[in-house]
Amino acid sequence: MWGYSKRLKHDLTRWREAGWLTADAETNILSELASSGREVGLASSLGILASILLAFAVVSFVAAHWQDMPRAARLGLILTLIWIGYGASGVLAARGQRAFSDAAILFANAVYGAGIALVSQMYHIDGHPPDGVLLWALGAFLSGAALRSNPAIALAMILFGVWTAMEMGDSGKVHWPFLAGWGAVTAAFLWQRWRPGVHISGLALTLFITSLGYFLSEGHAHEIVALMGVAVAAIAIAALKFRPELDTISAPALGYAIATAFAGLFALQFVEETKIAGLIAVAAITLLFLLAAIAYGLWHAHRGALWLGYIGFSIEIFALYWKTLGTLLDTSMFFLVAGLIVAALAFLATRLASRSQAGRAVA
Amino acid sequence: MTSKRTLFALLAAVALVQSAALLKMVYDRHTLIKTGREIAIPVVPVDPRDLMRGDYVTLGYPISPLRRSALPGGDRVAKLNSGAAIYVTLSPESAGGWKPVALAATYPPDVTQGDVVIKGRVQYNYGGDAATDANANLAVRYGIESYFVPEGTGKPIELSIRDRQVAAIVAVGPDGTAALKGLVIGDERHEDPPIF
Repeated sequence: MWGYSKRLKHDLTRWREAGWLTADAETNILSELASSGREVGLASSLGILASILLAFAVVSFVAAHWQDMPRAARLGLILTLIWIGYGASGVLAARGQRAFSDAAILFANAVYGAGIALVSQMYHIDGHPPDGVLLWALGAFLSGAALRSNPAIALAMILFGVWTAMEMGDSGKVHWPFLAGWGAVTAAFLWQRWRPGVHISGLALTLFITSLGYFLSEGHAHEIVALMGVAVAAIAIAALKFRPELDTISAPALGYAIATAFAGLFALQFVEETKIAGLIAVAAITLLFLLAAIAYGLWHAHRGALWLGYIGFSIEIFALYWKTLGTLLDTSMFFLVAGLIVAALAFLATRLASRSQAGRAVA
Repeated sequence: MTSKRTLFALLAAVALVQSAALLKMVYDRHTLIKTGREIAIPVVPVDPRDLMRGDYVTLGYPISPLRRSALPGGDRVAKLNSGAAIYVTLSPESAGGWKPVALAATYPPDVTQGDVVIKGRVQYNYGGDAATDANANLAVRYGIESYFVPEGTGKPIELSIRDRQVAAIVAVGPDGTAALKGLVIGDERHEDPPIF
């Protein structure tokens, strides 16, 4: 949003100076931009942050295990706070303050989690802690889906992630039920048409797929991660070309697929013990893949692909230098060859650009 | 958008489900502790802190490490993975305390009078078949390994029990689920009063 308004202001000045826009039109557009809820953005952010702070107050109150208040009273307090949270949410929603209403729902869900902690503390339940997190995640999901509240759905995704991380840490095996939780939360995000949700889902799935490389076939499945990333990237590119109306999903998907593929390729080179020839081959493939991502980003104005390409490229170069390909002299040779190839590509790119510009000038 | 009435109905429904989930947890434990068979098992405490539930004392049980090869039924639980349910039959000892006498992957159909069956989860399962491996060992968690205490009281409890006999008071339900009711330190019984 901020990036957009900044760019628009810049462009408006340019368009006015070019004579495409009257000064009046520019003022009107700018005032419309200013009134379109910057204050609401701040207020709703503060509302969410306040509810997080209040939630932490409740959680640490439970953890303090304060003896002067009987356990029944503590339980009663938790239940009352849940009802107050949902009640406040209803009042705020009826007044049209949707953002504050969402913050109240988030608070109620945090108190619900504190309640699960309280009961297992009261009864010294030490069974299987991920079960408690799952119960919390299901409650948050129910609340987010029934009340159509995005922050609560996002909380459910985080909790499904924590649940999965705990299960995988416990058993050392892939925790496939995560996909059911992920699917439900993602469906809710799509139903809500909430764009940040698409990113939360993408990030969660990227982390899960990357973890497969460390858990499948005794921790040596990184090539599966890389191939999945490349496959999803190819599908996303095809979707962007042939079904452009779906770009709210396929554009972020491409970014996360690039990140997944790079995570797999990176692990293949620097986590696995690879022989030197194999390492050079995978390093060359990785650099090509990242250059392709940068090129796609530039040609199709996909900022995610562009930046992930640049960031991945930097990480890759430093990691290669750190690991050294055999001797330092060999490493130097590798970088020299790679540098010359990329320089040649750069030269080719300028030729292409000047030719297309010349073509435009003629037309 | 939804009308005010539907909205409040939905809000109440969600609040109700979440409250019911918490109260169900409370009710299940309350019933288990009230009606479960009570046994006392000697323990060794140490003192860490949980992120959400505060200070607690970790209790180590002599029935947590089990020698699979030395117990009847050891071959039937040889293939259990970590996380799987396991049923351990305990028999009272004359000196007090309980000793494991049988292992099973499901609740055993016939239990000797006086014995009690407790349900746990396999934490680790070492060794191959019980018949061939003499050192096949199991680590089991029963869900009664943490005793939550008011902030700052974990260390004093641990110190006060250093040279005294400590036993955990455990209630065992008809399905084998165990709940920690309290501790017996020396001759004193420490137990939280029921909340209703």
